[in-house]
Amino acid sequence: MRQTISQQLMFAQTLSAALETLINQFLRYNLHGTRALKPLSEKTLTVKLAELSFPLSFSVSDEKIHVTTNDEHYNCCLITSISTLIELKKEQQLTDLIKNDKLDIQGDLKVAQRFADIAQTLDIDWQSELAKRIGDVPTYKIGLLGRQLLNKLSFAAKQIPADASEWLVHEKRLIITAAELSYFSRDVEHTEQQTADLNQRINQLINRISKLS
Amino acid sequence: MLINLKKYGKLTVILFYGETMMSAHDQNHPVNNDNSDESTTHFGFQTVEKNEKESKVASVFHSVAQQYDVMNDLMSFGIHRLWKRFTIDASGVRPGNKVLDLAGGTGDLTAKFSQLVGREGKVILADINSSMLNVGRDKLRDRGLVQNIEYVQANAQYLPFEDNTFDVITIAFGLRNVTDKDMALRSMYRVLKPGGRLLVLEFSKPEHELVNKAYDFYSFNILPKMGALVAKDGDSYQYLAESIRMHPDQETLKTMMDAAGFEQTSFKNLTGGVVALHKGYKF
Ligand SMILES: C[S@@+](CC[C@H](N)C(=O)[O-])C[C@H]1O[C@@H](n2cnc3c(N)ncnc32)[C@H](O)[C@@H]1O
Repeated sequence: MRQTISQQLMFAQTLSAALETLINQFLRYNLHGTRALKPLSEKTLTVKLAELSFPLSFSVSDEKIHVTTNDEHYNCCLITSISTLIELKKEQQLTDLIKNDKLDIQGDLKVAQRFADIAQTLDIDWQSELAKRIGDVPTYKIGLLGRQLLNKLSFAAKQIPADASEWLVHEKRLIITAAELSYFSRDVEHTEQQTADLNQRINQLINRISKLS
Repeated sequence: MLINLKKYGKLTVILFYGETMMSAHDQNHPVNNDNSDESTTHFGFQTVEKNEKESKVASVFHSVAQQYDVMNDLMSFGIHRLWKRFTIDASGVRPGNKVLDLAGGTGDLTAKFSQLVGREGKVILADINSSMLNVGRDKLRDRGLVQNIEYVQANAQYLPFEDNTFDVITIAFGLRNVTDKDMALRSMYRVLKPGGRLLVLEFSKPEHELVNKAYDFYSFNILPKMGALVAKDGDSYQYLAESIRMHPDQETLKTMMDAAGFEQTSFKNLTGGVVALHKGYKF
């Protein structure tokens, strides 16, 4: 497969390195930051954004978040796009987005929620941090977008558990409802009855054969 | 503390556990006494006896060890960090994995792996050169990375580990210094677990002639001067430039990996092929 220029120039690694540095600096500034990581130790959240040709995985070690571009192993994976996140309104039901294939979540929802908790506890001042690195001019817009995205991402991750039961049931067919369960038990009872009948008939047949012989 | 001092072939292995460094009888690494017709090999552009190469390489790395990290940043304009990130990303490493960072030197890859494999995992930083290992161990210890790292002085050709031990093996900018590369690749294959992968990060052949020319100029004119100026060691950096040119190109290295038994081998060029990352699996 031909490699793209951005692969050769390692754009993905440049971005993940920059994100990793920023995130960990914020964690360090914030007293609760690294402590908040404890419950997420050795867990990975992967985010796949339609606008990026590579995934971003956030893995937690003792006191740090590592950002890689590998999605082979994750505890939870969020698949969406920056444009979806930007359009996302507070009151919006995530089920709608899921139904319209604009958002998908795989794995342990609690992991996504915990990451969202951490993002919210950090009072990240993207703008002043970025200004230090790339100057004031591009910072305003990037900072605004960054703040917006982070808020939306964490809103999405928080909202997911609230909506989760609904979409898991209707969209993913992973959970069975009470009605389905009662149908199933009725079926089982029915099969049980049939098996008992069959058993009785076999016994009768055996009796008959032994009488004949 | 359990200390393992074993003789593997002709090489005495020194294991470091945490802060303790075990001494060994054999500080001068024995060399490959190959009496076959092919008794010579390359040391940069020079042709030397095979058994001479190892000690020459050793003296290069004893000499550069202290300045190694600074020079790496300087010579590559910091890009070596991205090449290494690319390697970590390709490793697919996860908590609980056992990783061998071979020719690991001052431990850049080990540092990251150690945090990604977690408490249940383990990283072995192996290198033939005690000076490089010492610098690496001090650096990692200063960064508080002690829990799951072991230091092993070993030659890539005679790896002192059981068969099927590692989930991931990396050798970054190390293979070109090894006297018998095929033997080293076979040794890596042996100690890799079925399902495990080997990643070879190494200088390679730039894809475009123009890049090649610029790179040549940089390597032979600027790099040794930088080495002389900063590390006060122009000769070692002249060797570095020469050894890069003598290293097999992308396709040749891939074929060598196939021959050693690796499957699904592939490579990715980075920075126009100045560096390539080769990957192979053992199934
Ligand atoms: C250029 S350094 C690379 C260090 C580190 N992997 C990095 O990428 O920064 C090459 C290392 O290979 C080691 N080395 C050379 N020959 C070796 C061999 N036969 N077996 C194991 N290590 C070897 C050297 O001692 C040196 O530390």
